[in-house]
Amino acid sequence: MQAARDHWFVTEVLVHEAALMRFLQRHWQHRDELHDLRQELYARIYEAAAKSLPAQPKSFLFASARHLMTDRLRRSKVVSIEPMGDFEPSHVLVDEVSPERWCGGRQALRQLSDALDQLPDRCREVVWLRRVQELSQKEVALRLGISEKTVEKHIAKGMRLLANALYAGQTGVPAPALDAGADAQLAD
Amino acid sequence: MPAGNTPIEQAAASWLARRDGAHWSAQDDAELAHWLASATAHRVAFLRLQAAWQETARLQALAAGWQGDGVPPRGHWQASPGSRHEQMLQALTPRAAPTRRAGRARTLRFAAAAALAVCALAITWSWRSQSQVDTASFHTAMGEVRTLPLADGSQATLASNSAIDVRLARHQRDVALTRGEAIFQVSKDPHRPFAVAADGYRAVAVGTRFSVRRDASNLRVVVTEGTVRLDAPAAAGIAQPSVLLPAGSVALVHDHGVLVRSLPLAEAQQLLDWRDGLLAFRDAPLTEVAAEFNRFNARKLVVADADAGALRVGGNFRWDNEEGFARLLQAGFPVRADIQADRIVLHSR
Repeated sequence: MQAARDHWFVTEVLVHEAALMRFLQRHWQHRDELHDLRQELYARIYEAAAKSLPAQPKSFLFASARHLMTDRLRRSKVVSIEPMGDFEPSHVLVDEVSPERWCGGRQALRQLSDALDQLPDRCREVVWLRRVQELSQKEVALRLGISEKTVEKHIAKGMRLLANALYAGQTGVPAPALDAGADAQLAD
Repeated sequence: MPAGNTPIEQAAASWLARRDGAHWSAQDDAELAHWLASATAHRVAFLRLQAAWQETARLQALAAGWQGDGVPPRGHWQASPGSRHEQMLQALTPRAAPTRRAGRARTLRFAAAAALAVCALAITWSWRSQSQVDTASFHTAMGEVRTLPLADGSQATLASNSAIDVRLARHQRDVALTRGEAIFQVSKDPHRPFAVAADGYRAVAVGTRFSVRRDASNLRVVVTEGTVRLDAPAAAGIAQPSVLLPAGSVALVHDHGVLVRSLPLAEAQQLLDWRDGLLAFRDAPLTEVAAEFNRFNARKLVVADADAGALRVGGNFRWDNEEGFARLLQAGFPVRADIQADRIVLHSR
């Protein structure tokens, strides 16, 4: 049932990423660990859904997030000075009735265009030619006079940055345009 | 929140970007499948980026009214309320097929001009090649899965131990499936129907994705995109009615006719998971599961007795690891696996 699980994961879990990241941010001091936390959480969720798909994905996601943070605190040898409490979910609005969708038309396009505008120049250009003008990677390379390998690298990078922006569902908070040291500037 | 990503997310993005390029091979496909299967974190990172990337197709709404060449300046989107309104309207149509836009139209005009020039050259030579037909044959060995580009822009993915003959003519595209199974990703060309013949039956499409498979006793057609028309061979000189198969259909052809099931699309797609190195089962008898494995492997799974054969199995398994599957059975089922060099015998306990 992997295809069904994949579909479920994308449509029922990933759509809550914005709320999830806000939640993790509130409860986890180490900002540099947020992506890692998210990654481990998603893997757990996906594996938990192997036998049957949780009926209330959003509640399940947030409950799992709390467990994960608790586990990590227990594992870490450093005792946190700030008591983390038990991640009271009381102020997290878990609403199963109105499914969140990042394909909410107007808002999604706004988010996407903002995200596009925050890409580095070359990367932005490559994404535009590939996704909007629908040129192949090869054609993009010819058009910009760069190698296909470079086009590919820009695509990969654009993909990551756009995904972060898209899922973050930012409301007017500009994300830094460049990765924090994650990858060196691409040479053209 | 930093905009960085974990190393796994970076790797997933590299895979997706490579697959999006021109140099993607069956070998890459297999390596990707392996990477995806090797850790859940890989798979979820990949799913996340893939879904977001698909979503970026909506950016095409921004190109409405943009006459320039290349990318508009930053912030262009907030410029004129009139064009923005139009953008919104377009964007509110989720996943609409991208309508041809200005920038694209210009490219097309240019292409048309170029095509005219080429046409002039081609005409002199086409009357000779009117009857020209492009033929090719492909086959795969046991345990090999290969994706082949066909000359018309379509793709055929051959399962293990399968063979096709391709014949591309001016007004029709004919493929004969002579052995095994193949998935066809058909490039759209309404003027040249794409027909796959097997056992006297023909599955006809104009632009779609479907698979045809033949066994000793029956023929199976699975449609995962578009619509396919299944033509039965004439019986006793009388033409038989055709069956239309929309996406999600699974048609089974037996001696006595055609049985069509409609499945949710995700389930129909699972029947083609072998392409990604996986076999998916839901509550299937072990005899059936063993037969599926045996289509891909020289070392056969032999079901020794009826009790073992009747066990119901579910899950996703890599088809290239029949031994792992046998050990799994032994661990979780009343089965004893006798693993030999040339075969694996499954006994009930």
